[in-house]
Amino acid sequence: MSKESIEVYFRNLSRSGYSITSPATPEYNCIAWAAGNAELWWEPDPQFLYYWPPQIERRYTLEAYKRTYEVLGYKICDNSVLEIGFEKIVLYINEYGRPTHAARQLISGRWTSKLGSLEDIEHNTLEGLSGSHPAYGIVAVILKRPIKNS
Amino acid sequence: MTYAGSVLFASGTKTRMQDIKDTAEGKESRIIQKKYDSSVAHYLTPYSRQWNNPVIRFFTLKVQWQVDTSMLSSVAEIAMHPAYQQIIGMGPIAIPLILSELKRKSGHWYWALKSIAGEDPVMPEHRGNLKKMAEAWLKWGKEQGYV
Repeated sequence: MSKESIEVYFRNLSRSGYSITSPATPEYNCIAWAAGNAELWWEPDPQFLYYWPPQIERRYTLEAYKRTYEVLGYKICDNSVLEIGFEKIVLYINEYGRPTHAARQLISGRWTSKLGSLEDIEHNTLEGLSGSHPAYGIVAVILKRPIKNS
Repeated sequence: MTYAGSVLFASGTKTRMQDIKDTAEGKESRIIQKKYDSSVAHYLTPYSRQWNNPVIRFFTLKVQWQVDTSMLSSVAEIAMHPAYQQIIGMGPIAIPLILSELKRKSGHWYWALKSIAGEDPVMPEHRGNLKKMAEAWLKWGKEQGYV
């Protein structure tokens, strides 16, 4: 997928700045990628086709998605500003309150996102992926955890 | 006719036409040729008749579906796309087409396969691992005589 196509879906991206960091693949999604997994597609689908942490309720709710990262050691926090010694994850929701996307902060302060079945990107701002469908809505939750070995 | 290695003098500037190799065909003529082919195909085989061909129908729907959903991170949403639902609606005739597609390239065909076949050969420990899921469905397809 070309940059031009990505920018059709996410109209704020070119303005806020981003770069493509992987080839496109459907093998994993943003939820897995934010959790550090690039091998599985994480989703609480009702058909039980995809991976979902077994201890988490299998529902498309913000609470279930938040719990998925809490079991990995993340805790709710109130801002997305870079903090030395911490890594942050944000969850986006659409206008119906349904989770649409997760992004993880890098030590540079930029964010890494897997765009559906497309590429991974690094983006400068969270607003780059915000907006109405097909963009990911708004950031609803910010979580952080201490970086290991820091 | 060949323009290979020819030199273009435009506005007094010498520009080598490196992008033209052994043909005079340019971008515009390729577009015109494509439109011409499409018009001829449309004239010879009306769209309504093409739509009755399951292969043409499948690939037309597949392209629509992929363009509209490739940025989505939820298969539940991806699978609700009207084109994907129409592929499911094609029933068992779509299974060999889906499996051949799966053999060629990874993709989210599992919702459709499970919906049409009414079974799921993927082991629980392989859920979400698209390579393993593809392997399981291709093995199933072979056993069922679809592949």
